[in-house]
Amino acid sequence: MAKPKLALYWAAACGGCDVAVLDTNEKILDIASLVDIVFWPIAVDFKYHHVKAMADKSIDLCLFNGAIRSTEQEEIATLLRAKSKVLVAFGACACHGGIPALANFTSRAEILQRVYIEAPSNSNEQKTLPQLQTKVAEGELELPELFDDVKTLAQVVPVEYYVPGCPPPVDLILKLVDLYATGKLPPAGATVASDKSLCDECDRIKEEKKVTKFYRPHEIIPDPKKCLLEQGIICCGPATRGGCGMRCIKANMPCRGCFGPPPGVVDQGAKMLSAIASIYQGNDTAGINRMLEEVVDPAGTFYRFGMADSMLKRKRLQKS
Amino acid sequence: MSFEPKIVGILCNWCSYAGADLAGTSRKKYAPNMRVVRVMCSGRVDPTFVLKAFQKGADGVLVCG
Ligand code: SF4
Ligand code: SF4
Ligand code: SF4
Repeated sequence: MAKPKLALYWAAACGGCDVAVLDTNEKILDIASLVDIVFWPIAVDFKYHHVKAMADKSIDLCLFNGAIRSTEQEEIATLLRAKSKVLVAFGACACHGGIPALANFTSRAEILQRVYIEAPSNSNEQKTLPQLQTKVAEGELELPELFDDVKTLAQVVPVEYYVPGCPPPVDLILKLVDLYATGKLPPAGATVASDKSLCDECDRIKEEKKVTKFYRPHEIIPDPKKCLLEQGIICCGPATRGGCGMRCIKANMPCRGCFGPPPGVVDQGAKMLSAIASIYQGNDTAGINRMLEEVVDPAGTFYRFGMADSMLKRKRLQKS
Repeated sequence: MSFEPKIVGILCNWCSYAGADLAGTSRKKYAPNMRVVRVMCSGRVDPTFVLKAFQKGADGVLVCG
């Protein structure tokens, strides 16, 4: 029997999701012996034209990491969707927009201005910006176009499964492979992780949540046994799906929300805001204002991974 | 044309909604810009409701209770 065909791709990503697949260590060899890897830009030398030449639905499983923010990424997402039987949004960026989607708090024009012109490390006297077409002696060069919006994979093409995490933990990757290999994949649309919130699986001592001051992680050494939120450190556990094995909590760091919202929560940031508002003890305006100051960059904190998928979606663009 | 804001009012059944009701039965006039949503307690209000109201085109949201 022919081995199942596996493809992996990175769009707007950091490479960490691909490394997470390699982190399965010796298990990667099992995976490699179980499947034929037909496309994986970080590790295997196949090109886009090889994928284009494949018959539709000839890839059995495609793990797609990264968000979509350029014409090239959109094109490859569409291509891999057509060629794959099962398409998996792999990692926080593909599932919810992830860190790249923080760009939705700004715009393409502002990003280009900052990166190519204002950044102190630049020396760009001619104020050159990337061009879609550039004529050189050998002919015309083309670059993909950057969008204003960073999108999730599912906002561009239909997706069968979601494996959250920045990056997904090894045990969930192996669980997905196992579910696939044993033909036990859940109904399409499922997320391969817990169906409860992170707080639900967190084993820290939880007493009454009453907070009078918020600390940033570097301002305090937290008690490693007690709930971090009760100690005034913003931990996104109440608004985050469980299943990561409490990776950050075990390192005495607060959850940053990379697993996205738990089932039934529409907007992770709003849920977190609600959690914060309900534990703050204080009813005088001065205290409330001080607390608001203590939460530095609330939008970036509550929507750190979920901006593309949130109700906010993006900052309103100035009409030109 | 002057700007007529659309305001979504999320009112508690027991105080502010009762107040708005009383204003109505007492035939007091108030601007029609506010669309009222009654909740059984303002503690029921989730920030998502406020976001949803803005998403659907509200210019302002008033939570009373
Ligand atoms: S989810 Fe995290 S590890 Fe994966 S590509 Fe995005 S930023 Fe990198
Ligand atoms: S808020 Fe954080 S530390 Fe507290 S119970 Fe939830 S996940 Fe654990
Ligand atoms: S604790 Fe939170 S941020 Fe850390 S891995 Fe788990 S879900 Fe992600």
